[in-house]
Amino acid sequence: MDITFKNVSYIYQRNTPFAHKAVDDLSFHIPSGSFVAIIGHTGSGKSTLIQHLNGLAIPSEGEVTIGDFYLTNDKKPKNMKELRSRVGVVFQYPEHQLFEETVEKDIAFGPENFGVSKDEINKRIKDLIPAVGLSEALLERSPFDLSGGQMRRVAIAGVLAVKPEVLVLDEPTAGLDPRGQKEMMEMFYTLHKEQGLTTILVTHSMEDAVKYADHVIILNQGTKYMEGKPEEVFIQKEALHKVQLDVPEMVQFLNLFENKFGKSIPFERQSIKEIAQSIQHIVKGAEKP
Amino acid sequence: MGKKLIEFRNVSFRYGDEQPWVLKNCSFDIYEKEWLAIIGHNGSGKSTIAKLMNGLLFPQEGEIIIDGQQVNEESIWSIRKDVGMVFQNPDNQFVGTTVQDDVAFGMENRGIPREEMITRISETLSAVGMQDYLLTEPHRLSGGQKQRVAIASVLAISPQVLILDEATAMLDPKGRTEIMQTVNNVQEKNELSLITITHDLQEVVQADRVIVMNDGEIWDEAIPRDIFSKKDDLREIGLDVPFVAILADELKANGISITKEPLNHEELLEDLWTLHLKT
Repeated sequence: MDITFKNVSYIYQRNTPFAHKAVDDLSFHIPSGSFVAIIGHTGSGKSTLIQHLNGLAIPSEGEVTIGDFYLTNDKKPKNMKELRSRVGVVFQYPEHQLFEETVEKDIAFGPENFGVSKDEINKRIKDLIPAVGLSEALLERSPFDLSGGQMRRVAIAGVLAVKPEVLVLDEPTAGLDPRGQKEMMEMFYTLHKEQGLTTILVTHSMEDAVKYADHVIILNQGTKYMEGKPEEVFIQKEALHKVQLDVPEMVQFLNLFENKFGKSIPFERQSIKEIAQSIQHIVKGAEKP
Repeated sequence: MGKKLIEFRNVSFRYGDEQPWVLKNCSFDIYEKEWLAIIGHNGSGKSTIAKLMNGLLFPQEGEIIIDGQQVNEESIWSIRKDVGMVFQNPDNQFVGTTVQDDVAFGMENRGIPREEMITRISETLSAVGMQDYLLTEPHRLSGGQKQRVAIASVLAISPQVLILDEATAMLDPKGRTEIMQTVNNVQEKNELSLITITHDLQEVVQADRVIVMNDGEIWDEAIPRDIFSKKDDLREIGLDVPFVAILADELKANGISITKEPLNHEELLEDLWTLHLKT
């Protein structure tokens, strides 16, 4: 589903002394099927933005369009429930939302509420369990007896079991160890491609954004600060520093390399292996400094 | 190395009689004024170590000595004056109704005079960049802001040991760097021991020493450079290696001789430059 924000503002506790504009005149367009990374320092409005994507927040001003759903301050869609079945949100630390007696019941809770038949739910669970990296042996266990990483996978399976077309991920790897982080991101990327999802990833990791996203939106103080392909956005060191962000480590290294050797290796989202080859050419190059 | 501040002697721990051992016969020392990083996969026992250090948990076997005192039911109250701890999720650590009340709470419990408290509140909140939020209610803060306040609250007690249990995991990269700078400044000024439990490799390479945990056992204990020279072994136990270490390996594969395992960009560039001049 295409997602469009048009001059969206969101004000918390409007008309009170605590009124606070978390999103300010924000406009952007996400074509269906893209993988978009949303980046911004703490308090830049990322979490408020994603609450608009399934109608948990209704814009105070402006309009949000998600597929055929249309959200404005005076016109809430009647079929909010349908919107929520088509936009799945994995919030931060989703394992805190587990509550059922067994893993199976917890995963089934979402689709049951959206009226999916028992047989279909069972089929979905069967498909999802390996996809999220769990084993069927866990289905009858209490989710609270699992490790943190497993609990998170159960919670994510619960969101995926609704079969959303848009998947919103709010820092989905926070708190996992490096292997867990990598596995989790690879899992989302595979799902994204296989099921043709539109994926929106809120992250602090420039490395993940470079690796998976085809479009990046940088937020600052509730408004869009930069937007573009990762390889265009992530080389703008000064602009990123101004909003408390940094370029990916690879770009930092390439900048330092250029300062030292006077020759640039352009950043093209290449692998470390490819960078090593470029460096080798320059270091072992014919000409002396 | 300075004086021993914390000793773990053959410590084993499990959460219940039927449960598997989370720590298996762990022995190590932590010294005054040092920065020790503890790394390991989720469930390797890192956080259990932290909780044993200030008596949130007690070991079934072995003993833990902190500044000459064995950690037990009687000693925990005096030990907790020395061991300050900040956890991953700031929401679980708030007690005050305003930021300044929260920072004051720990000090009140320790009977610190009011004038001193006021000075420390403003000092520690400035140190973490939260001086403009004295009267803000904690639930109005963002995750990163809450964590800064939690760190300020601990620093205000001026402990001998500061333990950060993945305390920067929820912050953005810049916030993370800033907090670590703050923590390092305080560590130097107050001559603290700093123990960071982290997955952040930038944090690990800066530490004086690293303990690597794997399945409840101490897998390795060394300076960061030695740890990161064992790349394949680290990957095997689910850990990551820094970008420069991976790049150094790829360069070696391209026939470039790297003289020492680089810990940061500068070291690797220096090495490459020397080589370039010789070519």
